Order: sequence, then C-alpha cells, then structure tokens
Amino acid sequence: MLFEIFIFPGILYILLWTVVLYWFFRKFMASLHKRVGPSFNGPAGSYQTLFDLSKLLTKESITPKGVNPYLFSLMPLLATILAIIPTALIPWSPSVLVVPSEYGLLGLVVLIGIEPFLLFLTGFGSNNKYSFLGGIRILTQMISMETAFFLSALSPAILFGTLNLASIVEQSSWLSFFVLLPSFMLYFIALLGLLEQPPFNIPDAEQEIVYGFYTEYSGTNYFLLKVAEFSEFMAVFAGGVVLFLGGYKGLFFDNFICLFIKMLFIAIVMMVIRASTPRITMKQMLKFSWKYLVPLTLLNIVWIMLSKILFFGTIV
Amino acid sequence: MDNLKSIFKPFDTKYVEDYKSSWIKVKLSYSTNLLDVAKLLYDNGLRSISTISATDFLEDNVMEINYFFEDLVNKKNCWLKCDVSRELEHCKIASICGIYKGALWNERETYSMFGVEFVGHPDLRPIIISQDFYDKFPFRKDFDWEEHEKNTVANINFISESFEKEEEENEKKLDVNSSEMILNWGPTHPSSGPIRLKVHCDGEDILGIDPDIGFVWRALEHLVTKKDFVGAIVAVERLCFMDNINSMVGYAQAVEEIAGVEITEFAKWMRVILGEVGRISSHFMGMGGFYNAMGLHTVAMWNMDIREFFLDFLESYSGARIATASVEAGGVRYGLAPEMLDELQKALDKFDATKDDIRSIFVKNPTMRSRASTIGILSKDDVYDYALCGVLARASGVKTDVRIDEPYGAYEHINMDYVTQDGGSSKDRLVQLFEEIEQSVDIIKQAKAHIEKKIEEGEFNPTKDYMVKVPKKLPKGEAISRVEWARGEVLMHLVTEEKAKSPYRLKMKAPSFNHTMMVDYLLKGQTLSDIPLVFGSLYVCQGDLDR
Repeated sequence: MLFEIFIFPGILYILLWTVVLYWFFRKFMASLHKRVGPSFNGPAGSYQTLFDLSKLLTKESITPKGVNPYLFSLMPLLATILAIIPTALIPWSPSVLVVPSEYGLLGLVVLIGIEPFLLFLTGFGSNNKYSFLGGIRILTQMISMETAFFLSALSPAILFGTLNLASIVEQSSWLSFFVLLPSFMLYFIALLGLLEQPPFNIPDAEQEIVYGFYTEYSGTNYFLLKVAEFSEFMAVFAGGVVLFLGGYKGLFFDNFICLFIKMLFIAIVMMVIRASTPRITMKQMLKFSWKYLVPLTLLNIVWIMLSKILFFGTIV
Repeated sequence: MDNLKSIFKPFDTKYVEDYKSSWIKVKLSYSTNLLDVAKLLYDNGLRSISTISATDFLEDNVMEINYFFEDLVNKKNCWLKCDVSRELEHCKIASICGIYKGALWNERETYSMFGVEFVGHPDLRPIIISQDFYDKFPFRKDFDWEEHEKNTVANINFISESFEKEEEENEKKLDVNSSEMILNWGPTHPSSGPIRLKVHCDGEDILGIDPDIGFVWRALEHLVTKKDFVGAIVAVERLCFMDNINSMVGYAQAVEEIAGVEITEFAKWMRVILGEVGRISSHFMGMGGFYNAMGLHTVAMWNMDIREFFLDFLESYSGARIATASVEAGGVRYGLAPEMLDELQKALDKFDATKDDIRSIFVKNPTMRSRASTIGILSKDDVYDYALCGVLARASGVKTDVRIDEPYGAYEHINMDYVTQDGGSSKDRLVQLFEEIEQSVDIIKQAKAHIEKKIEEGEFNPTKDYMVKVPKKLPKGEAISRVEWARGEVLMHLVTEEKAKSPYRLKMKAPSFNHTMMVDYLLKGQTLSDIPLVFGSLYVCQGDLDR
C-alpha cells in the first residue's frame, strides 16, 4: 500500500511524470518552433526541468496584500490532491489497480470535473481583477465543455454495459475501437477545452488576462498548481486511453508501457495543435460548444446504441 | 498645384512657393487665419494632417508652428507655417480638431512639449511626458534640463504619488453596484509593451480605452540638438530598432538637402537594399507580434529563423545586427565587398524556401481568419481623417506609398506597384505585412542585380563611391524629408541655424503615434479578448510612439 501511495502510481510517479512530460513538451515544442530548446543541462537538457522544480520549491511564495492567506495557499494544495486522486482508479497494467471499483468511470469523471471549481476559487481568492476574470472564464468554459466531455465518456459505459474501468479494458477489442473512434475524437476536443489547451486556452490567456488565475501565484504555490495541471493531464490522458484505446493492451504484450505510449500519442497531438492554432474567443468557444460539440456527442450516443445492437447483438 | 496656391490668395501670406515635387510651402502672416485656411484645404482634398511641429526661436521671441497637410489620393501636400508669440500667456492658436480629427493627439503633443495652447481643443491634457514635466514644457529652448535632473528621486516619487492618486479617484468614480472596473493594461502586461491602456470595462465588455503613453520617452528630438550632425543618427535610429535604417535615410536626406549635397548613385542603391532589409526584419517581427497576441508563438519563431539571415547580411555589412548606424548624411557608411552580397543571397534563398509554408499555415489560417476578419476594421475615410499611413492605410485599400509618391534614393528606377488589400480588418493587415515582405524581397533582388551589373560594367566602385563629403557646419536652413518606413511614413522636419554644428530642431513624425490614437475608436464595444489582437494588428512600436 505504501509503495502504491508514494512510488507507483502515487506521488513519485506523478512528480516524475510532471518532470518528464514538461521536458518532453519543451523539446517537442522547440522542434516545432525550429528552436533547440533546453540543451546544456544534462543530456539533451533533461536536467533543466529538475532545476526548475528545485528552484520553484525553494523560492519565496509571495502572498499579496488583502487576500485571505489560508484560502490563497490552501487552494493549490487542494487542487493538487484532487488532481492526483484519479490515478488510484485507473488500471495502469493488468496487475496495478489501487482501488478496484465497480464505479471507477463515475469516480474518474466526477474527480476530473470538480477540478475547475478549485481553479476558479484560486482566481477568486487572489484579489486581482485579471485573476477574477480568469476565474469567471474557467466557470464558463467548464460548463460548456464538460457536458460534451461527460457525454463522450459515457459512450464506452453504454457499449460495454459497465462503469468498471478494468472491465472496460478487458472487454475492448479492435471492433470496439472502431465503434468508439468518433467518441474518442469528441472526447479529445472536449479534453482540450477542459485542460485549457489551445485553441481553448481562454481562461489562462496570458496576452488577454495575464495568465488568469496564475497571476498572483509564485514559488511553491505555483509549483503545486503546475503539478495539479500535469496530474490532470495524466488523469485525462489515461482516462481517454483506458476508455477508448484499450488501456494497457498492446499489439504484442499487455503492459504499462503500451498505456504510456498511447498517452504520449495524445500529448503529441495536443502539442501539434498548440503549435499551429491561435486562441479563439469566449464567444466562439460558447458557440462551438453548444452549437456543434454537444449535439454531436448526443448523436454519437445514438450511434453507440445502434452499433451495440448491430455489432454486439444484445441490449443489457 | 496652382489650384492649391489659389486658395491662399484671399489671405495675407509671407510667401507661397513650390517645394519638392509634391509640396507647396506657405507662411501665413497672421495665425488668426489658420482655421479658415484649414477648412479650405480640407475641402480641396487635403484631408489628412500628418503632423504638427513647433519650432521655438528664442532670439526672435517667436514660436513657429508647422502644419503638414497631405492629400493621400492626389499626392498634393501643403506645408503651412504660422507664427505665434512664445510668451506663455500669448502662446495660443486655434485648434483644428473640429476639421481634422487626426490633429487630436498631435496638438496635445505640441502643447505638452512647447506650451502652445490650442484654443477649442476638446481634451488638452499633456501626453507622452511624465507628471514631473507637466506645465514645464521641456522642448522650449529655455527649459533647464540639468536643474530638472537634479531632483530625480523627488520626480520619481511625484510620479508614483500621482499614479496612486489616480487609482484612488478611479475607484471613487465607478458605480459600486455595477461590475464596471478600470484595468491597467500595461506597462508590464504580457502583450502591451511599454504602454498603459486604461481599459474601462464592464466584465468583459469594453466601454472605453484611454491610452497612456510615454513610458519609453527618451526625448530623442531634444537629444539630437546636443549632438553633431553625424552623431545625431544614433538618436535617430533609436526611433525603433525593428527598422532602424529607413529612419536614418530620412534624416540623412534632410541634412543633405540643407547642405546642398548630391550623393552618389551607388549610395542611393545601397540605401534601397539596406532599407528593404530593415523593412523585412521589421515586418517579420510584426507578423510574429500579431500571432503572439493570439497565443501562438510559432510564427514569431519561424520568422525569427528567417530574419536571422537578413540580420547576418546587416552584420557582414556594418558589424552590428540591430543598431547598424549604417546610413549617414553623404551616403552610406561602408563600402560593399562581394561576400556581403553572398550573405544577402543566402537570406533571399532562405525566404524563398520557407515562404510557402508560412503562407499556407499562417497567412491562410482559418482560426485566425474567423477571429480577425470581423474586428478592427478601418475604412478609407478613417485613413484620411486620422492620417494613417503605411501598412494600415494600404490594408484599407488606400494607395499611398512614399516610395512611389515621392521617390527617394533609387526607388524611381525600381519596378514596383502599390500593394493593397480591400477589407481594412485586422486580418487584412496581417496579409498586407506578408505581401509587403514579398514585395521587398522583389525590390532587393532588382537592386542587387542592378548593383552587380554596374560593378561588372565598372560604373560603380563599391569601395570608393559610397560616401561624399558633407561639411561639418551647415548653413541656415530648413527641410523636410519623407521616407516610407516599415510602419508607414516618417517625416523629418529639420531646422538649422547659421554655421550650425548640430540640429536646431528635428521633428520626427512617426506613424505609431497616429495609429495608437485609433485604439479607443476600434475597440469600444468589443470584448477584452479583442484588445491584444487589434492592438497587435495596429503594428505599433513604442519606440516611435514616444520618441
């Protein structure tokens, strides 16, 4: 149990994921930008993120005047803890699943969905006009994007007739992969909105509202918020892989490595979109979400139900 | 031109004369006639006021005010002068804001620097200068800079106190029960640059914007008067580093005109090449800035990648990549070696190899178009009324380009045409930037081929021809010189005294000043998300905004 909490898939794993993914994002983004990226600390600049991490941990964390210091410092901590919890529900490999539960999918979706509220509170508690605007933007975006996110995450549950994530992975096959492909694409688009990635990086738009809720945070608190962001990446990526791409199943062997490679694949697609698409506005996001995305996810549910009758033969 | 001259018949004038190819120069005897003259000029098609420049003649006890009226369609321009007394209580003249909207900020600037009171101006607050210079009028010849600089600490405290006072008053003015607030958009905002936009907004909706400028005011127009004619180019090129060469060309032309020097043919062609390289490096930054404002940094990085090659050429030519100081009165500073042209060829090849990628991914980007083609729209009338120039004017379909209208350097031998867009929206300005880069590359190719041909024929001697001697002391005189800078028209108004070693007065009209005036007009009623995009598309550089 202690191994699972502190090493895998617990705190050390999350930290390692954050550091490695951060470094990978930098390197990959650099090559898309025709730059070099971090290069001289360690092999291929790989120590750079470690140094950044130690720097952030040792830097002074400034609390601005006029805020409630407890709320201000509590929120990043809560956000991090809540973002880490979903890892316990995910079947990382055939043998590693910390909390086997019949309602794993429900837990995953609820825990992911609650995160933006905390980020809103960080903005609200900062006593800063820009942060407050960022907080409001998060709420708006969450309401419109999570509808599509939940609906598309529902499709495997309907198809396989279970909320148990381990059982979903076991039942998945090539046929279910193709049936679920439209759901995965919708899930991916909703994921971009949920994780505030371009073109939906409206709540933390640095050119508009100075990084929104991040504005007042520095030092350790900022570090915690970043860890929360990257753990949420992990939860959402892993959730997507487990639900739609067959989890730890691979072509030749079933292992954690397969799941990790699939997660990296999602990250790479996200990066490429980030490097080629400018940000859209709030109005455009709302229009896109309610006019196109949500109706499409509803249609997708119909498709899942139909294909369940056609290809899988039974209604449970 | 004669038509234009006849306007002045009913008025008492000291002289009406032709000046250069497209100007008439007029001096009014009485400043009281100004409003009537301005009205007539406006009705005759001179709808733009490029800039207002005052010259303080301490000995004659006269403040001479120069107005530069332009007709962007028919290319007939008028340089109007009139005298007012320089004693503060009598230093008054009628405001032409009622006729020329573009004079709004220009009159405020003249008021802040020289204390000329424009009677009837709707909003005559100081601009550019910081609070410690208010009511001291720093560009007057009797202003004591040394005395002022003794109290630097007290001045800084005064500025910060005024800021705090202003913030307190803002809070009082706003309705407590509404969601209105005043955002300070800058000077440390990630997309603002050193400028402060006071954004009055209700939630995300903008009610009004009041730009507060002057954070990088270096008093360049005063600095040049402390340097000799060669040293002044260092101040002139600091107008903006992104395109530092064309501003030096403008200044050098003004000096040459007063000195009566004709530069060599080779130097003229060199100025074309250097100037276009400067324009390209600036436009690349402009495109990057436009996309940075939308949260996409790839364009800036890709453009930097190409721009480095053009800077390599500047480095091989002048030894410096950014602050080249490579143009001075009398020609260009250095000779040309063949390997420098090889560097230039590398840059051109690099551009040709990359331009299709940039066009297909970023100039035609659908997400950008969905956002940018409906906001920040400037009509042709806006361009005329507010005297906009350069990229902004041409993106709205106005055919204006000093390189064609009033050719300088070797531009008259170059085969080029106006590049324009129709829409006038933010998107059109981005497309305009890219097409102008292509045009500049084309011009460089023409100029390079010409220089290489002439060197081969033995008509150009690149190691000797680049410079003619300009005397260190200049006669009394006055000249204006216009160049097409990266951001638009730069107008240099140079005044010298008899046997002068340094300029008596140099007014640098820089385009960003007029362009920033449009921020409020374009953004009222839009949302906060549009500020960086529209502001980025205005292609403003704070260096030439504040000077």
